[in-house]
This record gives sequence, structure tokens and C-alpha cells, in this order.
Amino acid sequence: MKARLTSLLRSMPLRLALALVLLFTLVSLISLTATYLVTARSFDQALRNDLTQRMAGFRAAPNALALAQLVEAEARETDPERMVLSYFAPNLRHYGNAALARDSEGYHVVSLSQDSPRLTGQYLALTAALHGGQLTIARSRSEIAALRRGFLNILVLSLVPTVLVALSGGVLLARRSARNVQAVAHTLDKLTTGDLKARVGAVPAWSDDLAEIAGRIDQMAEAQESSVAAIKQVSSDIAHDLKTPIQRVAVHLDELSRHAELTGAAAEDLDRAQAEIDRIVSVFGSLLQIAQIESGTPRSRFRPVDLGALVAICVDLYEPSAAETGHVLAADLAPDVPAVPGDRDLLLQLLANLVENALRHTPPGSRITVALKLSGPAVRLAVSDSGPGIPEAERENVLRRLYRLDRSRGTPGSGLGLSLVSVVARLHGAEMRLEDNAPGLRVVLTFPDVVGPGSS
Amino acid sequence: MKILVIEDDETTGQFIARGLREEGHSVDLVTDGRAGLIEATGGTHDVMIVDRMLPEIDGLTLIKTLRAAGNRTPALFLTSLGSVEDRIGGLNAGGDDYLVKPFAFGELSARVAALARRPPAQEQDTVLKAGGLEMDLIARKVTRDGVTIDLLPREFAILEHLLRRKGRVQTRTMLLEAIWDISFDPMTNVVETHISRLRAKVDKPFDTELIKTVRGAGYRIDA
Repeated sequence: MKARLTSLLRSMPLRLALALVLLFTLVSLISLTATYLVTARSFDQALRNDLTQRMAGFRAAPNALALAQLVEAEARETDPERMVLSYFAPNLRHYGNAALARDSEGYHVVSLSQDSPRLTGQYLALTAALHGGQLTIARSRSEIAALRRGFLNILVLSLVPTVLVALSGGVLLARRSARNVQAVAHTLDKLTTGDLKARVGAVPAWSDDLAEIAGRIDQMAEAQESSVAAIKQVSSDIAHDLKTPIQRVAVHLDELSRHAELTGAAAEDLDRAQAEIDRIVSVFGSLLQIAQIESGTPRSRFRPVDLGALVAICVDLYEPSAAETGHVLAADLAPDVPAVPGDRDLLLQLLANLVENALRHTPPGSRITVALKLSGPAVRLAVSDSGPGIPEAERENVLRRLYRLDRSRGTPGSGLGLSLVSVVARLHGAEMRLEDNAPGLRVVLTFPDVVGPGSS
Repeated sequence: MKILVIEDDETTGQFIARGLREEGHSVDLVTDGRAGLIEATGGTHDVMIVDRMLPEIDGLTLIKTLRAAGNRTPALFLTSLGSVEDRIGGLNAGGDDYLVKPFAFGELSARVAALARRPPAQEQDTVLKAGGLEMDLIARKVTRDGVTIDLLPREFAILEHLLRRKGRVQTRTMLLEAIWDISFDPMTNVVETHISRLRAKVDKPFDTELIKTVRGAGYRIDA
């Protein structure tokens, strides 16, 4: 849930929506505040002008008595909540609708009409000494306060729906685009794992930029699929065109051995020729196989493979041959090693190649161990021997096709064994390292992907 | 047996036909897919040998067409490619076995013989016998001329495989497929060493050789 929310928040449309909402809110706030301030100030100014005008009116009274009567007359019709009139006459009498009272809490305005309740709120007051007395006119600022409330209401009423609409639109768009991005990602996953028929297939409902990307991806996949098909066709043609003559040579040699009564040197030559044909076929087959794996063996065919079982098969298969040449071949299997997703036949061949390699390049008496264990979350397969090893400078080279160490030229083998191992390892996403076994060589393969424990 | 060979390369086709005729089979040889389909539709052959790359109609389509029409004659594909996909494709199309070029005639002959007699006989037997040798499949005991022979599980499996196919040659690759489920060709002589270990126990202490080596092909226990 939290992860979904995070991924939603990271999506482009929602981010855009959020940014727009923020911008809109900010602009609305600034403009409304400015309008409010200007209006409030002009209101204030109007109040002041009004007060000054009224004061001028009262100043026109000829004497204190006339002024007192004028104040009384006006006070009778004026609500002290709106305007306060107060005149302290020289005869120490008070006229008006309110008075400035003083108690322990300080000054405050009290209404004179209704049992002197306190008047609250802000007032703007003007006081002048007139005819020996003191006249105070004060206007309530409650209208300005009402104005502020009005502006706040406008702000809330206009912003809340906007924010809500923008946010839900953003979420909706974000989800739709997330689905589309998901479709693109899914297709790319399939393409990288060897399913070259996968296409995004954008529909007109998609946004233009995403549809454009999807279209380009589909074009790329199309090109890749046809070039892989072309490579396959070429290797199949080469295989056919070269293998047919090899087959014919093999046929002629076979007929010779079956029908001609060869003796001595001639028979030996024939055996040697047949062995050479076998070698050509084997090198050719390995090259072809490496090319085929590299041109895209679909990982969709991968099944859970129990490497422990393959190690057991391999050790069982090679143990008699190893014993015959004085080697010691042993398996070292840790319990509960999970299966890895892979191609069983290729992985078995990888193992066989590593064991054959060790048998071929180590002197009699050497010990060869095939070890399988769990290393952190990954499965680690190691084939180690106690032979002469490979000098550090040569370790890169031995993975090259047809490369052979000088000292190995006399031994049988195509020089493709380790190349095939490295290609199969790469197909399975496994890391391959050649290490010093002190003494000897240790080939370590680390398979990062595992299938749940216990399955096979 | 009556065998149909569909192979466009003349040298290879003649070689297969001559070899099979020498073994006493009757062989029809055709060189393109269309002629092959017409021949095969007659349905009188015991086994078909079909090249995958043929002019007119390719081998895969040919077998698919025959299978769709209800023809069940066992078919062995010959192929130049030999990749896993290639093999799976051939078997999915209705092929029964698969041989990668170039091949030795012995291999082809052994596989044709195996195809013709599918499924192996004696599946129900609990005791397999050959010469003076007896294999009790339930007690997992082997005796020869009354003498008990102790075999490791793998040796037992190889001997059982040969006994069940008495009189028929089993090649190295057939044994690799059947015993270890291995579809590639190891460089070292692994099968030979396993057989020689088995022989050391089964044949060496006795007068006659039970497990015969067939030169250029494989191994056989005579019926």
C-alpha cells in the first residue's frame, strides 16, 4: 500500500497536478490578500473621512448647549454598535449613546442605552475639545472584519473544489499512465528474456509521447526479431552447406573401413582421418551451438533446475573415467540448495565441460571437486582442481573461442569448452570467475536467481 | 524390414540405402519431399528416415502432414543443425527420433532397429535372462552360472538396459540418453569406461563374453 502510494506520488501526471494545484493556490492567495488589503485600507480611509466630516458638522454648533442637543439628537438614532457618540460638556454632564469607561482592566467603551453593556470590536475614534467639553466620535470597524470573513470564504470556496478536482484528475491520469508504463516495461522484460515476439501495441487512447515511445520500441523489437531470424537462417544454411560435404567424407571413410581390407599404415591413416572428422564435427557443432545460444535462446523455456542433481549425474558419469586416469573426482553438495531457473540440458553440458576440462588439463593424481552451496541469496557452483592452474594473465584469454594455452596444444579438446561454459553462464545471468585454487584452478559460477527452496 | 529413406543428398542417401540393404532390409530411396509424401502415404513401411531440409516439401511439414492424416509409421529425422530447439521442433512435429549429421552408419542402424521395435518387449518381466546370466528386477540381484555378481546401481541400470534390448545394438549416445538423460556428446570416453567396469564384473570371471562390442556402433547382448 505504502509502496503503491510512493510509486503513485512519483508518477509524472500526479506530480504535474500537484505542482499546478500548489501554483494556483499560491496565486489565489496572493491576489485575494492584495485585494483584501486594498479594500480594507480604502474602507478605513472612508471611515476616517466620515469621522472628520461629522466632527466638522459638530464644530458648526454655536455653543456647548447646542452641541449637547445636537449630540443627544443624533445619539438617539444611532446604534452604538455602529457608531459611538460621546460628549462631556463643561457642566460635567455626559451626552451621547456610549461612554469611555475605566476600570481595573483598562479603558473600554460602554453603551449607555442598554444598562451599559460593554461594546466589543475595534473602533476608530476621533476626539476633539469643543466649547469647553470633549467630543468623541468613534466608528466601528466591524465592517472591515466582515470584509475579512468574506474574503476568507471566497478563498475557501474557490480553492477547495479546484484542489480536489485537480488532485483526483492527477491521480486518475497517473494511474492510467502507470498502467501504460507498466505495459511498456512488461514488453521490454519479455524482449530481454528472449521473447522476441513481444510488442507494446499502443492504442490511440495513449498519450502522444508514450505512444511514440511504444511505437519506437515495437519498431526496434521488429528489427531485432527479423535480424535474429536472419542470423538463425544463415547459421542453418551454413550448417547445412558445410555438414553435407563433411557427411559425404564421413560416408566415404565409413565405406572404406567397412569394405576395403586395409592393413598397417593404411588402416592407421583411416583411423586418424576418421578421428579428424570427429574433431571437425565437434568443433563445428560447438561453434554452432555457441552462436545459437548467443542469438537468443528463449529464457521463457527455463524451468527450475536442481543443480545438485546435475552435479550428481556428472560425477557419476565421469567418475570411472577419472579413476582410470588416476584422478579423484568428488562432489561436495551442501543440503537444501534451492533450484535455479534454467535450461537443464545446457547446464548439464556446462558442468560436463568443466569436469572434462579439469580431467584433461591436470596430471594423474589430481583431485577435482564439484561443490554446490548457498552463498547469501545466490547459488554458488565451484569446480576446483589441484592441477597447474591458469596464470592470472591468461585467465581472460581462455574464455576466448578456440584459444588454448601453449602447454595444452598436445591434449585433445576443441578450445571451446570454457567459451561454451561462459556463454551458458551468461544466458543464466550467472557470474563466472576463474580463481586460484592454490594450487590449481577454481571456476566459480554464481547464480543470482533462485527458485523457492525445496522445489526442483 | 521395409524402410523409406527421404534424403536429397545423393551420396548420403545411397550410403544409407546400401548399408540398410546389406543388413537385409528392403529400402525405398526418394530425393524430395513431394515424392517422399506420396511414397509414405502408401503406409507400407516399417520405418521412415527423413532429412529435415528437403526440396519441394521440407521434412518437418512432411511428417506433420502424415501424422495429421493418421499415419503412425515411426520416423527418424536427419538434421544438420542439432540445436535443442531443432530437436524439440522435430519431436513436436511427430518425429520419433533424431540424428545429427554427420553420423556413423552404426548409429543410424541401431536407432532404426530401436524405432521399429517400440515399445521394448519384456516390460512386464521380473527376471531378465541372457546366456547363463539372470537379473532379478525385484530383489535387484544378478547371478551368472549361479554365481552372485554385486553391481553398483549405475552398473545395474546399464546391464538392465542392454538385457531389455537383447539382440539389438545400443550405441554410446543411446546409452547416454537412456541412463543419464544426456543429449550432448561428451568428449571423453565415458560410456566405454562404464562398460568396461561392468564387463570386469559380468564377463571377466567367466568363459564367454556376454556384452559384445559392435565395431563402429556400440554394445549388444545376444539373444
